[in-house]
Amino acid sequence: MSAKPSELMITVLHAISTVDDPEYPGISIVDLGLLERCEIDDDAGTVEIGLIPTFAGCPALDVIRADVRSAVEAVAGVQELTVGWLRAPVWTTDRVSERARSALANDFTVAVQVGGEIPPCPRCGWPTEDKSLFGPSRCRSVARCHRCDETIEVLRS
Amino acid sequence: MTETTAPIGMVEYLLAFADDEHLMGQQHTEWIGVAPFLEEDLAFSSIGQDELGHAVQLYELVLELDGTEATDEAIDGLAYRRPAAHYRSSTLAEYVTTDWAEALVRHWLYDTVEELRWQLVVDSAHQPLADVAARARREESFHRRHADALLDPLLRSTDSRSRLLTALDSVGPHLPSLLDAPSGERGAVTIGAASAPLASVGPEVATAIETRFDRAVPEPWTTPATAGRTQRDPGFGALMARMLEVLDFDPDATW
Repeated sequence: MSAKPSELMITVLHAISTVDDPEYPGISIVDLGLLERCEIDDDAGTVEIGLIPTFAGCPALDVIRADVRSAVEAVAGVQELTVGWLRAPVWTTDRVSERARSALANDFTVAVQVGGEIPPCPRCGWPTEDKSLFGPSRCRSVARCHRCDETIEVLRS
Repeated sequence: MTETTAPIGMVEYLLAFADDEHLMGQQHTEWIGVAPFLEEDLAFSSIGQDELGHAVQLYELVLELDGTEATDEAIDGLAYRRPAAHYRSSTLAEYVTTDWAEALVRHWLYDTVEELRWQLVVDSAHQPLADVAARARREESFHRRHADALLDPLLRSTDSRSRLLTALDSVGPHLPSLLDAPSGERGAVTIGAASAPLASVGPEVATAIETRFDRAVPEPWTTPATAGRTQRDPGFGALMARMLEVLDFDPDATW
């Protein structure tokens, strides 16, 4: 990317950031770390977007790609658009932004696990206990808070 | 694709891996709703989802080597529409069981081998395969952890231990088929796409079984078969028919 992003680049990146994860309405796929590459030829109006999946078998991949496609297609100046899923790098939870972390905690009672330790309760900050390695979807496990007895979903990689 | 000619054997080598992942993934999903408890419903569906995800990626690699665009239809074509004799899956992934103990032992055994199998290609000279392996290995670590966490208490109680050992006696004889080399394996090793043949993990698998189940492993179990994965398990036809039931109900449906 050049030092000063072009106007088209800024508009395209903004368009991508309006795409929410289907599992978490209100949380952008960019904040979840799914956007890896955005190459733009300003003169030709060609845009190439590379995304990475949380897990290879995620059933939402087609939906996300279609959402990104329609968001970017609507940008003036985009002549040719490619949206693809990349094989590398591997998605990890350290790609999740602070903004997404607090939205996951506040709106979905989801904690984000980075590294080996089970994260604290997103409601009260108390330690949680691992209950099930697999949860409601492939990227989430289930824990329980010792204090509020709340069932916590844990986003992990 | 810049590459126009597929290295000899790579396609068969990748198909064997893809077919195993596909069938194992499908078989795991059969436990949704009927596993002994809710956590297992979730675990088996998630693990099945991973294996299906790996299968899709491996089928994509096959299509790319073949110079074909990896559309959903093309992937389904490889996964569902080849003649039985063209599959390169192992009977371990093909045979059908409705016994929970067997499903659990097979899950453990398959994932024990699978972890080692990804290890063989994580530094593959075929970069796309190395990329797929990097992600898959990370996902695999959850599978073994899950199976071990369940087997730990079950192997301590007398009744469940004896059921699991009976199950092991049913699953174990399928191990040679899993270690059997598809015809392209030698070529894959020669060009550095894989670091060694799958059969080379046999001794490590035997040790893992001995440690896990605290019993000796009969030698034939880790002696690779030599059919080149060309023979199907008797249950294959019925399994495939069930897998196609929904797809064939409305072949033009979009999902």
